[in-house]
Amino acid sequence: MTGLIRAEYRPIEILMVEDNPGDIRLCVEALKEGKVRNRMQTVVDGEEALAFLRRQGPYAEAPRPDLILLDLNLPKKTGQEVLAEIKEDPDLRRIPVVILTASEAEADIIKTYNLHANCYITKPVDLDRFIEVVKSIEDFWLTVVMLPPK
Amino acid sequence: MELIAIIALSALVQIAAAFFALRLIRITGTRTTWVLIAVAFCVAALRRLISLWWIFHGGTWTPEDLIDESVALTTSFLLLLGVYFIAPLFLTIKQAAKAMERSKEELEAQVAKRTDELREANANLAVELDERRRAEQLLAHYAEDLKRSNAELEEFAYVASHDLQEPLRMVASFTQLLAKRYQGKLDQDADEFIGFAVDGATRMQQLIQDLLAFSRVGTRGKPLEPTDCNVILDLARTNLHKALGESQAEVTSGPLPTVMGDEVQLIQLFQNLIANALKFRGKAPPIIRISAQEDNGDWRFAVRDDGIGIAPAHQDRIFKIFQRLHRRSEYPGTGIGLAICKKIVERHGGRLWVASEEGRGATFFFTIPKESDSDRLDPSGI
Repeated sequence: MTGLIRAEYRPIEILMVEDNPGDIRLCVEALKEGKVRNRMQTVVDGEEALAFLRRQGPYAEAPRPDLILLDLNLPKKTGQEVLAEIKEDPDLRRIPVVILTASEAEADIIKTYNLHANCYITKPVDLDRFIEVVKSIEDFWLTVVMLPPK
Repeated sequence: MELIAIIALSALVQIAAAFFALRLIRITGTRTTWVLIAVAFCVAALRRLISLWWIFHGGTWTPEDLIDESVALTTSFLLLLGVYFIAPLFLTIKQAAKAMERSKEELEAQVAKRTDELREANANLAVELDERRRAEQLLAHYAEDLKRSNAELEEFAYVASHDLQEPLRMVASFTQLLAKRYQGKLDQDADEFIGFAVDGATRMQQLIQDLLAFSRVGTRGKPLEPTDCNVILDLARTNLHKALGESQAEVTSGPLPTVMGDEVQLIQLFQNLIANALKFRGKAPPIIRISAQEDNGDWRFAVRDDGIGIAPAHQDRIFKIFQRLHRRSEYPGTGIGLAICKKIVERHGGRLWVASEEGRGATFFFTIPKESDSDRLDPSGI
């Protein structure tokens, strides 16, 4: 029933919503070093993220993610809008959403927590620290936390 | 015969008196009185003429009549004199009145002149006041402009450095990744080039972070509130716990006041000054003494150390952003600490300066006003 048990027979699904290919690549590199077998999917804007989650259009076969990494500054629909829609959807709201953004603005932090973000992380500027943070996200959300069953 | 002469003379005198009485009309300007007096004289004269007529037609007369007529003559003569001499009196009065009238006019003219002068002076004053008010408005306008442009500049520095951080993070991250994966796998030149790229990018990141921290003082400050500096110092020491332990520093402090301040910024101020004292220490474990005393409406704080000191020639430079006195290999850092300190102190309405000699320690002084004056305290208007 727990993430730990499930991790043994199928990879953890992570959805990354991020428009910066550099950040996507850095996350991929960091997760490569991770302990948990995972499969990361990426979408580059807010509308695509919602289509992916609702399995619309080209995403009809998309897997349901166990964890969402969400940037705030996104084209088409902002991260906040995506977050609001996820948390309003009775089917999707259980999926933990980790905000991973460059913004350190207090207003952003307060607003996203008000929208029920599960945690808010500022992208570290240093590479080692960045890798460490991504690994700790993986460690905490995929091995420490008990996630809801699918 | 004497009687006729007396009567005739009386009549003449009375007519003369009537004539003078009528002349007085012109002098005194009153008609009725003098006409009545003149008529009275004429009646008396008529009475004389009737007497004469009576005598000439054989009328009888007694010696008493002679006495009466003599008295009448005398009376008439005296009246004539009276009427004659009263004229100058009236003339004098008239002249006096005229003189009074004239001086009154002069006075009025003078008053009018003064009134005009006063009015003119008032008008000038109004113009001056107006000019002054306009100058004041202009000044206030300039001050407002300056405040706005300062705030805009700070906001610009903040936004620019914040937005530069993103692409720079990519440069730094991927050069670091390159170094991590390919160090020693290419040739020696490649290793060196990657080394310079990583070093440059990392340093630039530090500079931008420092710039952000610097512009945050003005753009992201909190309102000033009563803040106990003893608590502030404790918090700064807690934050520096590790560095203080490593250097075996001794930090002592006298009683510190409560001031109007931004807690976060005051912690940073104390922390930067103490951290500097630790960084530029001498060979022995550093001794840092913090104190505060009243000085002319201000609190004057002093942070004294026994470190390497600063030559007087360099003492202005150390407060400027990114100015350093030592090579990076000797003492790390970008040269932001004291610039931030200065900005924090100035935001609180005070001054920061140093007293030091090379090799003999340094004392950093800063002031914070005892009385809060919100305009003076917070020039950024935030």
